[in-house]
Amino acid sequence: MAISLLPDNPGAWTFHRFQDLYAIGREEREKLQLEAVRINFARMRNRIPALKKLADRQGVERIDRIEDVLPVCFDHRVLKNYPIQIIENRDFPKLTSWLNKLTAHDLSRVDLSGLTTIEEWLRRLEAFGMLVTYSSGTTGKLSFVPRSIDEFGAWRAHFFNVNHAANGVNPYTTKLPTFFPGYRGGYQTMLKMMSLFNVEMAGGPEHYHTLYNSHIPADLMALSGRMQSAEDKGEIERLGFDPALLEQRRTMLEQGRRKDQDLQAWFSKLIQQFKGQRVKIGGTFADLYRVARAGLDQGMRCEFAPGSILTGGGGMKGYKDAPADWEDQVKTFFGVARLGNQYGFSENIGNAPLCDAGFFHFMPYTVPILMDADGKALPSAGVQKGRLALVDPIPTSYWGGFVSGDEVTMHWEEDCPCGWKGPRAAKTIRRFAESEGGDDKITCAGSQQAYNEFMEFVAGDA
Amino acid sequence: MNERVDIPIIARGRVINPGADDAVEFRGRGGAGFRSPDPHKHIHDLVLGNTALLADLNDTRMQHIIEFLAEVGRRLQLDDNVHLQQSFALALRAGGLAEPILRGVYDGMLHMFDPRALTALVDKTIGIAYLDGWVPGERPYANVRVRAIGTRQLHITAGNVPVVAALTVIRAALTKSDCLIKSPSNDPLTANAIARTMIEVDASHPVTRHLAVAYWKGGDEFMDSQIVRTSRIDKITAWGGMSSVKHIQKFLSPGIDLTALNPKYSMSIIGRETLASEAAMDEAAVGIAVISGFYNQTACANTRIVYVESGTDDESLERVVELGRKIVAAFQTLPPVISTPAAQRNPELEAEMAAVALEDDFYSVGGDTLTGGFVVSRFADRVEFYDKLSNRVVNLVPVPDLLEVVKWCDDTTQTVGIYPESIRDRLLNAFALAGVQRMVPLTGGDPMKIFHDMHTLPPGMPHDGIEPMRRSVRWVIDHRPGEGAVKLSVVAA
Repeated sequence: MAISLLPDNPGAWTFHRFQDLYAIGREEREKLQLEAVRINFARMRNRIPALKKLADRQGVERIDRIEDVLPVCFDHRVLKNYPIQIIENRDFPKLTSWLNKLTAHDLSRVDLSGLTTIEEWLRRLEAFGMLVTYSSGTTGKLSFVPRSIDEFGAWRAHFFNVNHAANGVNPYTTKLPTFFPGYRGGYQTMLKMMSLFNVEMAGGPEHYHTLYNSHIPADLMALSGRMQSAEDKGEIERLGFDPALLEQRRTMLEQGRRKDQDLQAWFSKLIQQFKGQRVKIGGTFADLYRVARAGLDQGMRCEFAPGSILTGGGGMKGYKDAPADWEDQVKTFFGVARLGNQYGFSENIGNAPLCDAGFFHFMPYTVPILMDADGKALPSAGVQKGRLALVDPIPTSYWGGFVSGDEVTMHWEEDCPCGWKGPRAAKTIRRFAESEGGDDKITCAGSQQAYNEFMEFVAGDA
Repeated sequence: MNERVDIPIIARGRVINPGADDAVEFRGRGGAGFRSPDPHKHIHDLVLGNTALLADLNDTRMQHIIEFLAEVGRRLQLDDNVHLQQSFALALRAGGLAEPILRGVYDGMLHMFDPRALTALVDKTIGIAYLDGWVPGERPYANVRVRAIGTRQLHITAGNVPVVAALTVIRAALTKSDCLIKSPSNDPLTANAIARTMIEVDASHPVTRHLAVAYWKGGDEFMDSQIVRTSRIDKITAWGGMSSVKHIQKFLSPGIDLTALNPKYSMSIIGRETLASEAAMDEAAVGIAVISGFYNQTACANTRIVYVESGTDDESLERVVELGRKIVAAFQTLPPVISTPAAQRNPELEAEMAAVALEDDFYSVGGDTLTGGFVVSRFADRVEFYDKLSNRVVNLVPVPDLLEVVKWCDDTTQTVGIYPESIRDRLLNAFALAGVQRMVPLTGGDPMKIFHDMHTLPPGMPHDGIEPMRRSVRWVIDHRPGEGAVKLSVVAA
């Protein structure tokens, strides 16, 4: 190994060049990872109350083999296992004491006086030293990632590194004007990362162009389901929602309806304005394809300078029946050679960049483990398909072991044509759900959550 | 189970098997593979374009229809019916219901075809006279006659409990209607088995000649566009609500009457006095175990949430948790014909239970998805994963007053179990107004009796708040000239 890494400080690994990190041989890497996870777990086990409870219950005292960590990895649901009622009632003492079980910081010292919204609560936590972000899933319930300023340095260094790896452009030295067809600011994980890192990568806020100059308040994301069902019942005025929130909701719905036109108008303007310049384009692939398709239909092509980059995410979620060659169409329209891509979860710092050969490679400070349907570890050899758990030994203020809901095909051997070492995941990733039920099982019991118009309109943009 | 099962199309007395150049494959529960003739090639075998062809069934007297159904019913015995054995084996492997329960369900099918029960059913809901002929009004309206005319029906059936297939065949025959059943992938064979038994009894009987059974994939636009036409279908009964209707929705047009039997949730409500005595808690626990556990909690009538009138102080909640423990203990004592431990874990639900178990300020969790379990909410709200509760896991929710439960009730709330009976009159009308469709007792402490009483209704009772049979015939008026002269002023009025 050409670089020296200490197992008790994996946060410092992120400051190394990604090329050096990907060059570490398997045996050395696995030894280092096991040691790092062992040390991190020993540190956190009795410090994080929720981890202590889980470890006590599972009878896990120490990590001797890497798979020993699986029983104490948090299911992704743990970050939202509070009753939705406490959000609806804005019961900030309860919400804070819930979060307090997930962090080493003593949140009982946070001043909660005068809080009326979740946004304010998150801001108050930030002032205290937390960097709590949220994600919202299909049910609308927010999950909170209990990160803090303690992880900020490593988080930033990693993010710069992984962008460099995914795009081939060094964001420390090359600042590119950036277009992002979505919202701006707020505490949603991706938007918070944008404020923390991407704006800096672009060279400052004036070089970071977003479709909207506002964000969706967490309160609106949290309550959208309840608001929709109240509206269906004709009770929305009666439930005492903050009028400002209701107004924001109306604005968002209106924006959602206009989105396709707005997106195209906005992009057309940028395309003219930045003709001949090197730029960076971000967003969900569904949105980027929409823009590309509309542009190609009008016979348009972007004429940015060579070396412009495009990096997307979210797959084609939110776009039905995309043609097989959608990637080529996107490349043709924007005039870029490749589509940068990354894979990861908001719970973990270490998202994995897509290599030239089409695989997501994990950095050494992110430890992937595959499990079968019963939660047993699959061998880390050859090619395996299973449910992905990621252990992140970097955090010092929260526990970084998580089981995802994704089914992933991992290649464990160091034989990727791209030259990077380290375990890699194939591009096709799907939800790990039972295939029980057949093509269209019909039953008389149960029903899905009520159709949520609001989420449909705006969730994909956040 | 990787082998492939052939599922023929049943078309009006004929069995059409898949062949080398006429086959499509589809996937069933648990990855089972099925092969069927290509339904695209058999549209005309499935639908009845010409309504005049319903005359044979309409001209058949109800008594003969019932006799025929009864004869079919007598042959629906697992021991000597090869078709039923095949569908039983398939349903068993699919794993939704354990062997003793499924056997009970299949044995029960026989009784559904009991001629006295069938007679009472049709007479109570429609009136046999109205199906067999024109019924004149009472004087002075004897010149106006009414008849219930059979229709052309499409039934998109549910597959979680096989009785749906039998019920559908019976209802269609008793309404003298042409019946096309679109089988569900989770029970592709039961309707098929009944139809094939009919063919063996009499392939040319008008009832047999008006029954078609096929599988096609939900969302097959070609099939939906071909079948859901006013020229081919009059009535659609869709089980499973949106999941089955969403595909055909765009083909629905005025002239096609849709009865949507929506997915339902069910619950139990437990009065405050229950927690005051061990004996009452024991009795309630058995009742809740039966209503939650029968058919292993796969049916819409199964309780998933139990609202308990209780405070939310630690002492009160300990009583609610104790009730949870008693329910799980009662599951273990249920006769296997009612309920059994699950054949396999439900990892999704266990993950939900494990996640909330870490939060003991808000939840108390006991049991598991094999033997049965509970999640006590330590505040007055249900868990957010209430729609995933299965494998005999219930959510106990303390509420200060059971009347508050109506805020969680709507059209999707089918059955409400009640304990003790003394709370019923106070709540009945409020729950009925809120959308609830059935209130049942949980008293007595004897599982078999509770189960039996719960399932013993007089013939022709409403189903999910409506009367599907009355709705699935066409009520036709034959208005003849009246007798005698009428004053002009009366005509003008």
